[in-house]
Amino acid sequence: MKKFLLPLLFLILFLLESIFVQYIPPEVFGKNYILAPHFLFGGILFLTIYAGRKYGIIYGAIFGLLFDIVWIEIIGIYFFLFPLIAYLISKIMHVLQTNIIVAFLVSLVGIALLELGVYEMDFLIHITTLEFKSFITMRFYPSLILNAVFLLIAAYPLKRHFESFVESLRDE
Amino acid sequence: MPQFFLNKRLIVLLISIIVLVALIGFSLRERSKLSWPEQFLKDTAGLVQSLVSKPAHLVAGFFENLQDLQNTYEENKELKSRMEKLVSLEAQVQELKKDNKELRDILGEEETLRDFEPLQATVIGRNPDRWHEMIIINKGKTNGIKKNMAVVTAHGLIGKVKTVNQFSSTVQLLSAMDPKNRISAIVQGETNVFGLVEGYDKEKKALLIKAIPSGVEIKKGQNVITSGLGGVFPQGLPIGKVIDVKPDQYGLNQTALVEPGANFYDLENIIVITRSMAQPNEADMGEGKEEEDL
Repeated sequence: MKKFLLPLLFLILFLLESIFVQYIPPEVFGKNYILAPHFLFGGILFLTIYAGRKYGIIYGAIFGLLFDIVWIEIIGIYFFLFPLIAYLISKIMHVLQTNIIVAFLVSLVGIALLELGVYEMDFLIHITTLEFKSFITMRFYPSLILNAVFLLIAAYPLKRHFESFVESLRDE
Repeated sequence: MPQFFLNKRLIVLLISIIVLVALIGFSLRERSKLSWPEQFLKDTAGLVQSLVSKPAHLVAGFFENLQDLQNTYEENKELKSRMEKLVSLEAQVQELKKDNKELRDILGEEETLRDFEPLQATVIGRNPDRWHEMIIINKGKTNGIKKNMAVVTAHGLIGKVKTVNQFSSTVQLLSAMDPKNRISAIVQGETNVFGLVEGYDKEKKALLIKAIPSGVEIKKGQNVITSGLGGVFPQGLPIGKVIDVKPDQYGLNQTALVEPGANFYDLENIIVITRSMAQPNEADMGEGKEEEDL
């Protein structure tokens, strides 16, 4: 039973992003900021930090591919970036201590890297013509704040869940 | 040099970059339909989404109702004042419709570009990445949806069907940046002006209508509708209102900024439009591949 809990959790995060975007008002605080949720990726980064690099990269690849096929219809962008950033984050965590505040900050760095990476790729293939400056003010900062709020709420439950997952692996 | 090849991580990175470029190239090329694994995955995801979206719609609808209750009184006042105008308008429409039908009977023309059949659908998901503005609806090939059909709400055009799966399909919104996403439009006035909806200004939240000749005068507040000349969309679907006009880069054409009538956010129920009049055969339209103008 416990084995299915992890994919189920990520599936819920995957669907939650879509529902969030569907009901978000076009104007937040009177400005037309673009808030992009990265709840799923936040979860994957926490998995990388607490359950190990192997799980982070595997889940990153699987859910990246799913994300690309279901939402983007261009295969490769998230399929490539999710595992790559998960790998980089695991490298960073070698140097740092694993506690919840560090995990929170490092995950935010990971989400910022993802935003920048996706922007650069989309700019290259002409999906967007948004200038870098407008991208930073309209989308980058507001999205980071949104995801920081989500991680603040979810950090402790995610940490507890992944730690118990690791323990159940050890018991087997 | 041998040391270079021994570095396993570097090799993995290089190979994955090659795979990435190949995959992006594969998915960016003009595809008439998705491959079957993709369709299967999208349909499965669609099934799960439609299960989840129903309670989500309910909860969101409840909060919306609460908000509506707050300004019921003012709305009621405004609606009453509009009702009076509506009665006379309705009589006028009836008369014009009859007139139109009689004239058409005389001419012997039965089908027009305006005729269409609506098909109701529910939004079950929206792309969370927000670069590619797309929504997923719960009707697919089995319900008769085809690629490139127009999608509207009660307030106007919102996009076109991008890909079709068996039980769900993906709709690309007008606010998406896609150079292939062009819609032939009419700016209504004393004389109709033709143009192409090409692109979206994210900062001003306006659609751009390009290729309007520079001599033509366009004013703020003029209505914009689809022209039906592109081959797939019917004529007369409302798009929006002109809010600004500016000259093109070289001064030969004008660009009109159009505020879309429909709200691209908070979409729940949408209508897919099937045009009754047949689409002209590509072979009949002359040689060479033409650009895809809808």
